Amino acid sequence: MDIHKAFRMKGGVGDNSYSKNSSLQKRVADKVKHITMEAIQQVFLAKKPKSLGIADLGCASGPNALSIIKQVVDAVDNASRAIQQPPPEFRIYLNDLPTNDFNTIFLGLPDLYKELSRGTKPPLYIAACPGTFYGRLFPDHSLHFVYSTNSLHWLSAVPRGIYDEEGRSMNGKSVYISERSPPAVRRAYLQQFQEDLSLFLKSRSRELIRGGRMLLVLLGRTASDHAHCANSFLWELLYQSLAHLVAQGEVEEEKLERYDVHFYAPLKEELEDEVRKEGSFRTEMVEMFEMERADVSGSYGTAVAKAVRCIQESMLAHHFGEGILDKLFHHYAALIDQESVKRDVRSTTALLLLTKL
Amino acid sequence: MGELSILHMNKGEGEASYAKNSTIQRQIISYGKTVMEKAVYRAVENSLPKSVGVADLGCSSGPNTLMAVSEIIDNVRGTCREIGLPVPELRVVLNDLPGNDFNYLFMSLPEFSTNLSKNKGIASDRCFISAMAGSFYGRLFPKNSLHFVHSSSSLHWLSQVPSGLEKSGEHLNKGKIYISKTSPKFVVDAYLRQFERDMWVFLRSRAVEVVAGGTMVLSFMGRASPDASAEVGSHQWELLAHALMAMAKEGIVEEEKIDSLNAPYYAPSAEEMRNVIEEEGSFVVNHISALEIGWDGGLVLDNINSNVDFDESSKPLKVTKIIRAVVEPMMESHFGAQVMDDLFTRYHGLLQDYFSKTIAKHINLLVSITRKF
Repeated sequence: MDIHKAFRMKGGVGDNSYSKNSSLQKRVADKVKHITMEAIQQVFLAKKPKSLGIADLGCASGPNALSIIKQVVDAVDNASRAIQQPPPEFRIYLNDLPTNDFNTIFLGLPDLYKELSRGTKPPLYIAACPGTFYGRLFPDHSLHFVYSTNSLHWLSAVPRGIYDEEGRSMNGKSVYISERSPPAVRRAYLQQFQEDLSLFLKSRSRELIRGGRMLLVLLGRTASDHAHCANSFLWELLYQSLAHLVAQGEVEEEKLERYDVHFYAPLKEELEDEVRKEGSFRTEMVEMFEMERADVSGSYGTAVAKAVRCIQESMLAHHFGEGILDKLFHHYAALIDQESVKRDVRSTTALLLLTKL
Repeated sequence: MGELSILHMNKGEGEASYAKNSTIQRQIISYGKTVMEKAVYRAVENSLPKSVGVADLGCSSGPNTLMAVSEIIDNVRGTCREIGLPVPELRVVLNDLPGNDFNYLFMSLPEFSTNLSKNKGIASDRCFISAMAGSFYGRLFPKNSLHFVHSSSSLHWLSQVPSGLEKSGEHLNKGKIYISKTSPKFVVDAYLRQFERDMWVFLRSRAVEVVAGGTMVLSFMGRASPDASAEVGSHQWELLAHALMAMAKEGIVEEEKIDSLNAPYYAPSAEEMRNVIEEEGSFVVNHISALEIGWDGGLVLDNINSNVDFDESSKPLKVTKIIRAVVEPMMESHFGAQVMDDLFTRYHGLLQDYFSKTIAKHINLLVSITRKF
C-alpha cells in the first residue's frame, strides 16, 4: 500500500476532522511547551542570528500547527528584548506529506499574520514544505530549530520484512505487533524504525546549523514487550473491531490479514541507540511520560475512537472502503470503554531534545 | 465581493476545474519561453550564485505550474553549463493567495521530484520546493533571497476592487462589471489608479527580495489601445455583464447586484506598465512586448487565428470553460451557485455569436526587467 498516496490526517474543519479532534496532541504540545520555548530561546541567545529558521515536521492540519508559531515568535521576541537586541527575521517552515490538508492551514494564515503583525520588527515568513521528512527537505545549514510532535511514530512504510517470500504478511492475525506476532515481524518493525530514524537524523544533520536544536515528541513505550504497552493495546482493539466485522461478514478475512500499520512506538533505549549511532547529535534530554486521561463529557471510548478515526481513516478507507468506518468505530469505542475499566490505556509519550554537534 | 485573500480559480481536477481548462494560460507560458531563457541567463550571469532562489508568483494549481517550474530549472542548468558554473542548489517557491488549491498542486510534487532526479540528475538535496501563501502586493520573501521571478497570468488581478466606484451608496459603474464604453471617466481613472498603486507595491516589494542583477519575467493580460475601454482587453467582461443583464431582465438575478460587482482586474497598456516601472525606479526594462493571442490561446497571425488544438465549432465552448474556471468562484460568491449554469450557457451563446463575426483577440504583455545594481 502506497503510504504516500493515502496517508493523511482527516482534513478540513468538520466534526470528524483532525482539526477538531486533536486535543490530546494539543495537550502533549502544551505539556512540552516550556521545554520547546526554552530550547528555542537558548539557540537564539547562543547564535543571535539575523534570520532564524524554524521547521515543524509533521505539522498536520488544524489549530495546533499555527498556535505553536505564535508561541515561538513570542518566546524569541521576549529573549531578544531581554538582551536588548532586535528580534530576528523568522523563516518558519511547515512540513507534512503532500497529501496533508495544507489548504486549511493556509486559510488560517491571514489572521495569524494580522495577530503577529510585526510593525517595525523584521518580518515573519511562513512557508509550506510538502514532502517526506525521511529525506532532505531544506537547504544545508538553513535551520536553527526543528520540532516534530506526534509524527515520528509513523514509519516511512509498512516494514518490508513482515512479508514472506510469497509476499504474504506474516502478521496476519494482527495489525501491529501483538502477542500473536512472530519474532520476524517484531524484528522487521524495529528494523524499519531504525532505518527511518537514521535517515531522519542524517537529513536534519545537514539542515541544522551547528548548535541548532531539535525537539522530537512521539508515542513510545516503556515495557520491552509490546503487548504490555498501551499503544499496542489500542491497535489490538482496532484489530478486534475489524475481526468483529469479519465475523459479521462485513469484511473479508483475507483483507484483514493483509492490513498492517506503518507505526512504531520505541523504547527510550531504541531512540538513544539510533541517535548515538548516527553521531551528529548530542542528547540533552530524553524522557518518557504518560498523559493524564482527559476529562471528556460522554463516553471515553467515543472520544478516543474519534481521535483515532481522524488519524486512521484515510488508511482504513483506502484498504477496506469507506462503508465500514461508522460500524467499525462504533464497535471500537465500545471495546475501549469495556477494556479501559480493566486496564490502563494511557499511552506513553517519548520526548527527545537534541543539539547538533 | 468577499474577501479577496480567498480569490481563487476553480479547484481540483473536475470538468470545470482550472486544472482541466487552462490551455490559454499554458500557451502564454510557452510564448514567453525565449524571453524567460534570456532573463534566467542574465540573472545567473550577474550573480554567479551557489544557491539560486526562484519564485513563481500566482502559481495557481494545475499542470501549468510545474511546467513553468520545469522550464525555469532547465534554464538555470543550461545557463550554468554554458558559462561553466557548477549547478547551484535550487530553492523554488510557489506563491498564490491563501484560497488557492495548493493541496491539488502538492499532489503532483512527489512525481515531479522523482522526475527531477531520474531524468535531470537533480538530487533531492539540490532542489527544494516550498509554497508561500499570501498576496504578492506586499512582501513575501526574505531580503535578497531571489534571483529569478516568474509570474504568468496573474498580475492583471488587482489587490482589491478599485476604491471610488461607489459614492454615497450609489454604484457608479451601472450594468457593467469592468471598464466599458459606458463607464464614467472617474471609474476608468479609479481602475488606473488602483493598478498603478498595486504595481508599484509589487515592484517595491520584489526590489527588496530580488538580488541586484536578478531578473523578473511577468506575463499578463494587457491592451494595445490607450483607451482602457477598447474592445481588446475588456470584451470578455463586457459579454459577461451582457449575460448577467439579460438574466436581470428576466428576474433571475438582481440588477443591483450587477451594479455592485466590479472585477478586481486591469489590463494595462505597455506604456502604463513602463511608466510604473520607471516611477518605482528599482528595475530596468529589458523587454516589453504585446502579443496578440486568440481567446483560445492560439497565435493571431495576419489576422488569422491559428487554432491551438480544436476545430472552430467547439471553440466557443472551450473558451467558455476556460473563462468559467477563472471567474466562477467570484460569480458564485456574488450571485449564488444555482445560477452559474444558466450564466455560462448564455455566455456560451454570446461567444458563438462574437466568434462568428470577429477574430477574438487578447493582448498579452510580456515584460522582462532587471533589478538595478
